[in-house]
Amino acid sequence: MAHPQIAAFARLAKGGDMPKRLVSGQGSKLSRTMHDIRYDEIHDEFLIANPFAQAVLTFRGGADGEAAPIRIIQGPSTQLGAGRMDVDPVHNEIFVPTGNAILVFPREANGDVAPIRVIRGPDTLLNDAASLSVDPVNNLIAVGLNNTLKADPKNNGALLIFNRTDNGNVKPRGVIRGPKSGIVRINQIDVHPPRKLVVAAQPGPVYEMEPEDAFVGVWSLDDNGDIPPLWKINVGPTSTMKKPFGLVLNPKHKELIVSDMRLQSVLTFYFPEIF
Amino acid sequence: MRRRLTMKTGILGMTAIFAVAILVMGILFLQQTQRGELQGASRRARLWPTGQAQLVSVEPMLEEGSECLWVPASAPLTAGLLQQASPAAQRSVTADRAPVRTIHDPNPMFSAIAVAPENDMVVVTDENLFQVLEYNRMDNTPPNARMTEPKRVIGGSLTKAEMMCGVYIDPKSLDTYVVNNDTQNWLAVFSKNAQGNVAPDRFLAVPHGTFGIAVDEGKQELYLTVQHDNSVVVFRKEASGDDQPLRWLSGNRTQLEDPHGLTLDTKRNLMFVSNHGSARQRVSGAEPTTYPSSNYEMNEEAEPEEAWRFVRGSGTFEPPSITIYRLDASGNTAPLQIIEGPKTGLNWPMQIAVDDERGELYVANDMAHSIVVFRVTDNGDVAPIRTIKGPKTGIRNPTGVALDLKNREVWVASMGNHSATVFPLTADGDVPPRRTIRGGPAEEASLMIGNPGAVGYDSKRDEILVPN
Repeated sequence: MAHPQIAAFARLAKGGDMPKRLVSGQGSKLSRTMHDIRYDEIHDEFLIANPFAQAVLTFRGGADGEAAPIRIIQGPSTQLGAGRMDVDPVHNEIFVPTGNAILVFPREANGDVAPIRVIRGPDTLLNDAASLSVDPVNNLIAVGLNNTLKADPKNNGALLIFNRTDNGNVKPRGVIRGPKSGIVRINQIDVHPPRKLVVAAQPGPVYEMEPEDAFVGVWSLDDNGDIPPLWKINVGPTSTMKKPFGLVLNPKHKELIVSDMRLQSVLTFYFPEIF
Repeated sequence: MRRRLTMKTGILGMTAIFAVAILVMGILFLQQTQRGELQGASRRARLWPTGQAQLVSVEPMLEEGSECLWVPASAPLTAGLLQQASPAAQRSVTADRAPVRTIHDPNPMFSAIAVAPENDMVVVTDENLFQVLEYNRMDNTPPNARMTEPKRVIGGSLTKAEMMCGVYIDPKSLDTYVVNNDTQNWLAVFSKNAQGNVAPDRFLAVPHGTFGIAVDEGKQELYLTVQHDNSVVVFRKEASGDDQPLRWLSGNRTQLEDPHGLTLDTKRNLMFVSNHGSARQRVSGAEPTTYPSSNYEMNEEAEPEEAWRFVRGSGTFEPPSITIYRLDASGNTAPLQIIEGPKTGLNWPMQIAVDDERGELYVANDMAHSIVVFRVTDNGDVAPIRTIKGPKTGIRNPTGVALDLKNREVWVASMGNHSATVFPLTADGDVPPRRTIRGGPAEEASLMIGNPGAVGYDSKRDEILVPN
């Protein structure tokens, strides 16, 4: 994609409606390949990562134009190298997956700050950890494992569930993986704490332009094993989805919002079952 | 019966209440989208209120339709029962449904551009609908026309072409080379007769995140920038399949920092690269020599630890730049010159093109909505010698630039307004284009949604946040 930007659309926008705000430009310190964004409702901020500068950027909620981030986590002490994250606004922490580890920073960290906790080691099963979401109510973390190699594309992806305060070489309390789960790789994740649910975008093999088995799935955070989702919305003519990459829940309106890479679109589904 | 009637009346009543409520919300929403309330910086950047529309997406009907989904109220119970029942096969519920709203730009989004003047051939890549579009060089969309129909369209799931940030036309064969950026690891080559959803006539596995493309026709060598690897990789021009590169330019001394555009000056034996400035240090000894080609996604977020090529925590933000090397530079080689600094006005420099006759370098300067021109001999913090910029130019978020030295014209692809515009080579200032080819209506800006890998929801402002 040639042009980096963050576009803010009205919730009811549709078709070619223009965004209400755009954040972009050299001063924003954004790059392309921004594969996560998280809004912190309590502090009215949003977070995004620049993977090419190995930085987590925090902006004011109403940032506009070539606004600069108000805080940047970046530097040798951070151990950062990845592009996704989530914020726990209740316990004031930022969680960052980096392949074989989960790094935890204070929410207000700024500059070259070391993580306060690191989940890492052979017992964690962390490998190609690419995305996560934090449940501050049930004190859990859902982590999505990606799939880098083509050789075994059907079995590498997984969802791991950890305790929010886990640290060091700990075993996940749940592992959702296997053919019944349908997971090939996991992109963006969101959680719904009141019902202890995790929702994950499963876009299918990366090299397939329009994978037939891509879907958005909903699991319980208590699930463990080769478990199919509680609910799933498949790609296809009904949903119109082709390759779901991102998702976020809007509990107020009982909506699931999905970004679809192949459609270059944002789709909103009314999905009251989740809520 | 009476109960059903009451229920029906109740539904109608609720429908009316919903409709009124949504109408009021719609009016409020319309007011929010008036020109005066658009936030200043966005307006300055590229927005103007369409005014049209947002409002009347009378979504109420869809939400009203959701009355049929009263079932959901019992969903928690259903879910609980399903979990108790436990057999995996019983608990998975296909919940396919249509979206209630879809944000989508229906028009092509011009990204890269190339011109073959001997054949009056202009090709642009469309990063919105994933198409390669060919136009006639002399096409000029009338002001009131919705668009100009392309002569040829290549696009579809067979093409191996998706996020095409770079394009090159072979001046002899008129083959079109397109470079995918961050979703497909292929360079695809289409013959001049290719059309529709067709497989490429030739394809080459390339590193993840290629952006710029240039060819040294004399030496038959193909150059690509690799954004995700901070490198330039050189292949034989006719390479295909899993052929390995001839050489790499890569390493901490190169000052390749989020490289994008690429152009060659074969007369002066120089290579130019535009950089956005997101930098990180390569692991010592991790300079690439071979590439595992199509077996790897090379997705750094998910990269196996043993394959990690950059030092964690080494990231920095550097100024945007144009770095200049010898044409045959390879390995960890420092640039000969660097154009960098506040006088340059660079703001996300994208594709670049060199006029080797006049010794001038043209830069598509995305966020300054301009084309800036430097001398190929420039070095350091220098101002451009010419700048094409302003409301008369029709340039908006330019990502592509190409030169037609035969007809002395510069072509600009503007991602922000579905257009390609043509100027005299020496154009300077706020000047109107000689011709404009539009892929969409003049009054409709481009949404510029590209590879939306994530989405967020701002619950305070009721806004959907979409990063590219």
